[in-house]
Amino acid sequence: MERSKGKIATREFIAIVILTIGAKMTDDTPAILYEKFSNAAWMAIIIIGIFSVIPIWLLINVFNTYKEKNLIEIVLYLLGKPFGYFVLFCLLVIGSVAITIDSSIYTDIVGTMYFTETPTIVLYAILMATCAFGAKRGLEQIGSFAWSILLWIKLSLFLALLLTFFQGKLDFIFPLFGRGVDEIMHGGISNLSICADFLFLTLIVPFAVNHAEFKKAIWISLCIVTVELAIALIAFVALFDYEPVKMLNYPFHEAIRYIRLEFLPNIEALFFPFWLLALFIRFSFYLYLIALLFGGLFKIKDFEYLIPSLATLFVLLGVIPENPTFSIFHFRDPFLKIVTPVFLLLPCLLWVMSKIKGDIKV
Amino acid sequence: MYSLLKKMINRKQQAPTPFIEKSSKEDITLKKQCITDKLNKTVDIFSHIYSVGKNNDVIFRKFHVQALKKDAALLFINTITDTDHIEEYILKSIQQYSGTSQKVEDIVTTPGIKKVQVIEDVIIEINKGNAALFIDGESVAYILSVSNFQGRGIEKAENEVVVKGPKEAFNEKANTNISLIRKKIKTESLVVESVTVSKRSKNEVYILYLKDIVNEELLSDVKERLCMSDVDSIQNLSMLEQRIEDSTKSLFPTILYTERPDRASSFLEDGYIVLLMDNSPASLVLPATFWSFFHTSEDHYLRFLYGNFTRALRLLAMFITLLISALYIAITNYHAEMLPPDLLLAISSTREIVAFPAVVEVFLMEFAFELIKEAGLRVPSPIGPTIGIVGALILGQAAVQANLVSPIVVIVVALGGLTSFAIGDLALNFAVRLSRFFLIISASLFGLYGLTAMFSIGLFYLVSLRSFGVPYLAPMTPKYTSGKDTLFRRLIFHEMFRPGYLKPQDMKKAGEVSDGKKQG
Repeated sequence: MERSKGKIATREFIAIVILTIGAKMTDDTPAILYEKFSNAAWMAIIIIGIFSVIPIWLLINVFNTYKEKNLIEIVLYLLGKPFGYFVLFCLLVIGSVAITIDSSIYTDIVGTMYFTETPTIVLYAILMATCAFGAKRGLEQIGSFAWSILLWIKLSLFLALLLTFFQGKLDFIFPLFGRGVDEIMHGGISNLSICADFLFLTLIVPFAVNHAEFKKAIWISLCIVTVELAIALIAFVALFDYEPVKMLNYPFHEAIRYIRLEFLPNIEALFFPFWLLALFIRFSFYLYLIALLFGGLFKIKDFEYLIPSLATLFVLLGVIPENPTFSIFHFRDPFLKIVTPVFLLLPCLLWVMSKIKGDIKV
Repeated sequence: MYSLLKKMINRKQQAPTPFIEKSSKEDITLKKQCITDKLNKTVDIFSHIYSVGKNNDVIFRKFHVQALKKDAALLFINTITDTDHIEEYILKSIQQYSGTSQKVEDIVTTPGIKKVQVIEDVIIEINKGNAALFIDGESVAYILSVSNFQGRGIEKAENEVVVKGPKEAFNEKANTNISLIRKKIKTESLVVESVTVSKRSKNEVYILYLKDIVNEELLSDVKERLCMSDVDSIQNLSMLEQRIEDSTKSLFPTILYTERPDRASSFLEDGYIVLLMDNSPASLVLPATFWSFFHTSEDHYLRFLYGNFTRALRLLAMFITLLISALYIAITNYHAEMLPPDLLLAISSTREIVAFPAVVEVFLMEFAFELIKEAGLRVPSPIGPTIGIVGALILGQAAVQANLVSPIVVIVVALGGLTSFAIGDLALNFAVRLSRFFLIISASLFGLYGLTAMFSIGLFYLVSLRSFGVPYLAPMTPKYTSGKDTLFRRLIFHEMFRPGYLKPQDMKKAGEVSDGKKQG
């Protein structure tokens, strides 16, 4: 008989990462990418994926050196008390802003695409209440939940992308490099923060069953997520062409409205529940991470009890922008730019400090 | 106003009056004493305890033992003893004894005999249907096993019916049930321990396990929980289940209740623990995961493909039961554009003349269906067919003709109700039927959004459930080495391991056989 210890295994971990980061293709991330890279957005995401390897590799290296320590303890150890706390506080702020923006966007998607008459605050409250319920159950439960529905979500996504490809024109991806290779490389690096979630993922290192597994899980999920996003970006361009796709805020939801399945003309409600499930996973996990960071920063041992109040706070913050479709869109782009250096520099800084302290041997 | 309210509350608080209880201290001290060597005194004590004379079936038979040249008395309750045995093995053999031995063990010929000194212990044995033999001048009682409780014989399983496979079911005698299990597991490592779980009725629970497979920690946890209850009586396993399960208010069951000895034995062989009790035509299997409720024994008796086909059907049935009414409400009220136009028009034309909103319609029919189910279960069998007629004609056809509900709602609810019968396990059936109502309510409030949110909450709840420390969805998630028998089962040759979440002492239950080899 096994007494569970709140640890999660590789497959649950991969399931969480794929669902949380993979869900980005369904929000306005594609819109941001299309705006910059036109039809070469899919290449940009691959560039982003490749460049993300560096900070992630450094992070993993640091974590390998300090087994049994989580991000909070490592930052405090390597950067010293006052500066370390400052960095962690910045991370907490970034995380909180990210979750507020994201949840606001997703609520906006539900509100504008599916439930136009329901008040935003109600939709928001349901989203956060469900996620708070899930997050409070603990990481192991979020992992199990993610794993048990992963297959169904991916099947529905596969069907959606397949239909999109069938009904689109693959010729639309040409010219292959969009506005040019320089643009892709440069823009790709400055938008690296799309993969910044991986930095936050390291918060749960101590909950992984073992380090080798964790490393494997990170690489596997980075590959899957990058490929998945790239395919989706190609699919949207193939369906809409590059000019119209720029005008769409939420290409995924427009796409599933556009496609049809034989005798069923409108099948978006077929994909909607699966997308929602991914959404619930995503925000349960983010809530858990923020609570974990918050608890670590302010030395609160039973941080699970923070989750309901944090969720309430995010709802209140998230309903402030009156027209999220536009305001958040314009807020998010600079935010991604600000986060990018943090995502690039913090791992480097940690690695260098660790090197100086002589803990890492190459 | 406020003070009035306060007064009312205060009045309520004053209400409790002390119970008037009679002290049984005297009786308890009496029962703790040892038996004296004076036969007359012993007879008096036991006559007092058992109210002999008033108590119709308690027999105190006094006689003279020629071989010992002493007076003796035999005490037993004749409704729970085998009187033929008493006559044959005790009374006759004592009277006809011609040997020289002075030992009671040599004179009496019953198979089981033991000596007991404390009055309390004698009482326990007599209450179990044994006879107590007191002999003048000896300060012990000889307990002779002659018990014979009345009960029915072994019959066919009624609730877990299989087409292919053993038909016999447990009955209300624990001894018979143990014998049925021993018939299937012929090994000396099968241990049957007994624990007394109640104080007044002295109900006994039999703990069955394979001592070289079961996890010791699990076993001691189970024993601890069994001993925890401080209660006068626990009549049967259904009552026991509620006392030892992990979360009593949980919607989903965490202990399996099965009436099939073959099922109980196969769980035993996998390292689970089985509980048996008198008066229960079933066994409790623990720990239980979601899959143990979802499976039936026939899944394994049928060939690989047939078995998995029934599993697929059952899974589909479970989701239909759970979701169909809720989906109907969500789609017709919130996502009507999803339906093909022709179907939408067909639905709306039948709904045109119905006075109620779709939600009320569905609730009305669901409620009616649940009523038919419950009433059909309780109705005396001679008037059973009436229920069918009433259900089908009045609630189905007439309700539609009276424009109370639309025909499509009847179809939806009937389909949901029908598929719910595909879930064989009673507890899981209840869990699914009840959670359906939560889903219907959330779907009627927020369409697919509410439905999915409620479903997620349910799934979160499900994955956080534990049965004796075992995660509810194991071994699917979290992963454990096992026979991988979850939604679908594997080929029987590939089920090589016992479930890893039980931490059995011996993991492997079969050797490797390659496909080529077994096909010969």
